Amino acid sequence: MADQMSDKSPEQISEGTDKIVVKDLNFYYGDFNALTGINVSIKERAVTAFIGPSGCGKSTFIRCFNRMNDLIPGARVEGLVSMDGQNIYAPGVDPVDLRRRVGMIFQQPNPFPMSIYDNVAYGPRLHGVRKKSELDDIVRTSLERANLWKEVNGILDRNGLALSGGQQQRLCIARVLAVEPEVMLMDEPCSAIDPTSVQKIEDLMAELKDRITIIIVTHNMQQAARVSEFTAFFLQEQAGEPAVLVEYDRTANIFTSPQDRRTEDYITGRFG
Amino acid sequence: MREGFRQELKDLKAEVHGIGLSVTDMMSASVKSLVEGDVDAADAVIASDDAIDRRCLGIEEHALEVIATQSPVARDLRLLYSLTYMAWHLERMADLSVNIAKATKRTASRRGPQTLYDLIQAQGNLVHRVLDATMEAFEKRDLELARKLEDLDEPIDHLYKQFFRELGRLQDEDDIEWASSMVLASRYLERIADNAVDIGERIAFLVTGEMMA
Repeated sequence: MADQMSDKSPEQISEGTDKIVVKDLNFYYGDFNALTGINVSIKERAVTAFIGPSGCGKSTFIRCFNRMNDLIPGARVEGLVSMDGQNIYAPGVDPVDLRRRVGMIFQQPNPFPMSIYDNVAYGPRLHGVRKKSELDDIVRTSLERANLWKEVNGILDRNGLALSGGQQQRLCIARVLAVEPEVMLMDEPCSAIDPTSVQKIEDLMAELKDRITIIIVTHNMQQAARVSEFTAFFLQEQAGEPAVLVEYDRTANIFTSPQDRRTEDYITGRFG
Repeated sequence: MREGFRQELKDLKAEVHGIGLSVTDMMSASVKSLVEGDVDAADAVIASDDAIDRRCLGIEEHALEVIATQSPVARDLRLLYSLTYMAWHLERMADLSVNIAKATKRTASRRGPQTLYDLIQAQGNLVHRVLDATMEAFEKRDLELARKLEDLDEPIDHLYKQFFRELGRLQDEDDIEWASSMVLASRYLERIADNAVDIGERIAFLVTGEMMA
């Protein structure tokens, strides 16, 4: 397979500014080497999609960007992950502050069991915003940016869990936006919601990327093709072996003329 | 995986290949009718065009349907795109063959100089060679052969120019209508080969994923 490797190394995507740079990343769950030799530069204010079969490490990888894996016993990162040139695993870095800068959306919408207003105000309050008028502004702006304001502006005191799945997911996005993140990680954000809501979230991503760097993990290749500018394809070729980044390129290139046969076989449905 | 989808692609590819062979026959028959002044043969060529049109339209419709329902990407997408493009060109080539057959009907009542018939026949043979090579390159995804089509096309252009020089020697004014029909036929043959060269570029795209300028 080595002779089919793309001659385009990840760093060679020259356009745009790098937001996150990953060098020689290895990831371990205890003794198990889950990801190996990952080199990639994530472009600022763009949508980057991670695709690959189940178990290829894409969710593990995305969690390296906000150190969510720190919470797993035995998990260990080797190599460099830097954001705006700063190593996010350096000793002085506060993971809690990092997670404000790098927000995350999960597959299952997970609003807190509290009012819509309090869900969105939660982060800003945690970061010291106390003034009612200021919180009101943040809640409104965040809900507007999440394209949810029109649907909920009369029911802000209602419990977030009373909303539909798609609305709950947008509420979670509003909750992330309320703390002004620079990066938003989305791990299968549309897998558990209805098609209309999927469309709304995809539209939302297109709007948000003017200000935020978005990384989305998705099993839906058409979604990756629709929403992203860049696509990275991950693959674990043998069970028990670490997964690798097979190919990283502009999304249009990946879906018309991928350079690596394994990418081609995966996206055309020949395996996976 | 996706066996039904794969079979559809195979069927579509086979159908385009089949249309290519039919158009090659049509082109040859039109040249033969012209050289032999055979109006019945010319009518048969003209009549066969409807079926080609229908088959080419069928390719476009079917390809669109597959694109809409199967979301093809990468080589599958390139194949469907190339098939549609080829169908369009083949349909044009069939129309040009019809034009040659119509030239037969305009010129059959009069016999011109043999040299000019020989030139048209020679040109027809070269075009046949280009079409054969085109369909072979397509069938075998033969990049080298696809890129050679332009070279194969060159002598056809030369013959077209030579045809003009020969016409210049005609003296009799009565020959003008006959001669203009013949020169148009030569031009149609040259255009058929150009369409084949365009298909060759699309075959190269199909194989490499890179558009040639």
